[in-house]
Amino acid sequence: MPKRTLDPLPSAAFQILLALAGDELHGYAIMRQVAEQTGNRIRLGPGTLYSSIRVLLENGLIEESSAREDADSADERRRYYRISSAGLGLARTEAKRLADVLRVARSKKILRGRYV
Amino acid sequence: MSEKLYAFFLRLYPAHFRQEYGDEALQLFRDRARDERGFFPRLRLWFDLFFDVTVSLPREYLHLPAPRTVPSALRRLPGIPAFYVLQDEPVRPGALFFGGVLSCVALTTCWAALNQIHRPETPNASSPRGPSYGAAAPRHSDSSSSRRRFSAYRSNRSFAPTQPLGDSERKRIISSVADTLKQHYVNRAAAQKTADTFLVREKRGEYDDISDSAMLAAVMTDELRDATGDRNLTLDYFSSPLPQQASAQLPEVRAQYRNAMKQQNCTFEKVELLPHNIGYLKLNSFPDPEVCRVAAMAAMTYVNHADAVIFDLRDNRGGNPEMVQLLGSYLFDHPEYWYNPRETTTEASWTHSPIEGNNLADKPIFVLTSKTTASGAEQFAYDLKMLKRATLVGETTAGAAHSGIFYRLDDHFGMGIPEVKAINPYSANDWAEAGVEPDTKVSATNALDVALKLAKNKLQKK
Repeated sequence: MPKRTLDPLPSAAFQILLALAGDELHGYAIMRQVAEQTGNRIRLGPGTLYSSIRVLLENGLIEESSAREDADSADERRRYYRISSAGLGLARTEAKRLADVLRVARSKKILRGRYV
Repeated sequence: MSEKLYAFFLRLYPAHFRQEYGDEALQLFRDRARDERGFFPRLRLWFDLFFDVTVSLPREYLHLPAPRTVPSALRRLPGIPAFYVLQDEPVRPGALFFGGVLSCVALTTCWAALNQIHRPETPNASSPRGPSYGAAAPRHSDSSSSRRRFSAYRSNRSFAPTQPLGDSERKRIISSVADTLKQHYVNRAAAQKTADTFLVREKRGEYDDISDSAMLAAVMTDELRDATGDRNLTLDYFSSPLPQQASAQLPEVRAQYRNAMKQQNCTFEKVELLPHNIGYLKLNSFPDPEVCRVAAMAAMTYVNHADAVIFDLRDNRGGNPEMVQLLGSYLFDHPEYWYNPRETTTEASWTHSPIEGNNLADKPIFVLTSKTTASGAEQFAYDLKMLKRATLVGETTAGAAHSGIFYRLDDHFGMGIPEVKAINPYSANDWAEAGVEPDTKVSATNALDVALKLAKNKLQKK
């Protein structure tokens, strides 16, 4: 069976990379961060979240970090993830690609609203 | 509850996913469930989860990781089998095809084997008569449901073990079964052959695995029936000790019976004339004519001038065949062959019709039945139905023909053995096991109302 590829980068994987760009997070924190950064449009379910994490780990885009000293006892059992330099590079490339897309969209005047 | 449900969903994922992320996924669910309380947040949570399962589950199966084979297993040495870890290996189409073919072959074999074990039975089967009237004996196991071989019994978990059986005791019972069969069974040649087979099998140790009394009874019953083709042969096990002689013959039991019949008006619960001059007899057993002949005659005399008669046998579990025949005699104006599965055809097989002064021979007759109407009551209903003499209203009856004669082997074992081969002039099978089908099928509770309506209509048409 074909192995999952990251070209093009799936939206969920990109959002996870963005979420981890700020801090090391565990699964639930990643889910919340993604929900926050997308205005609650993307709420990653456990299946999608962990299958994306697995693919990102396999491709060396994120890494599992060792246990955190400041975590409470419940958090000690959780696995934390952080973005790798390769992941940061890919996220940057993807952001640029989206920025190019955005520039084209602007030039075509298909976007309205102050946020663009 | 909701966590269990989600844990069930997780089980649908491939093993590698569950092993690696199962706990974390469950933890994430717990976190969300903790934080998202209230109706709408909870609804959204479940919507997210269903959507997530629907999307991610096929993807996980589509992108299963490569099989993790142990490197040492790849170095195959000639002549030494190698084993691979296949747990997460994607299933090849070829393997699926061969698996399908293999499953079909296995299922067909099982089906054929089961058919061999559980052969179709002739419907003319019945249970034995108990030590006293009809179904009165406390039967430990219902022989009608115990028709599988020992192997099948052994694998059946619902078969409750009863009294343990020692080797010498088992040998004694088998030998006793063989002797009793030879002595009493109507077909002497078959009896001899079957008895010899039992003794040979016993010597070969084929019954050595049976260490339970009820199981021995069930297995032997099967073998008796298979060997002779006679469904009325049974070996029964009774958990409570059987009396030394047939209880009905004991003087104190006879006295008790006489007394009870006197108090219960010989089980004629109601003898009435209903509106439209319809006679109604609610009879809850067919008592021994030696004790109840006068009561029976008085009841029949009471309804003698009715325009139609309803016999209510809904609570009747049977009784004495002579009483069945006596009451039947009132319903004909000439002697009619009266089938009784326990008797050979003799002069006594005919009804005693006509009975002097009787007016009921040409009156419409209705018999009310229920699913507990049994034995002699079924004989009454069956014979009248077959002779087209009565309209049966109610439910299909219990299907207890009790055509074997009961023989006590010891304190706990007894055999039902037909001593005669009765001729059924009406049809190939009587009511044994199948029961008697009513002409008008209604629930037992409504049977009287329906019968009254039918009787009224019939009388109005006249």
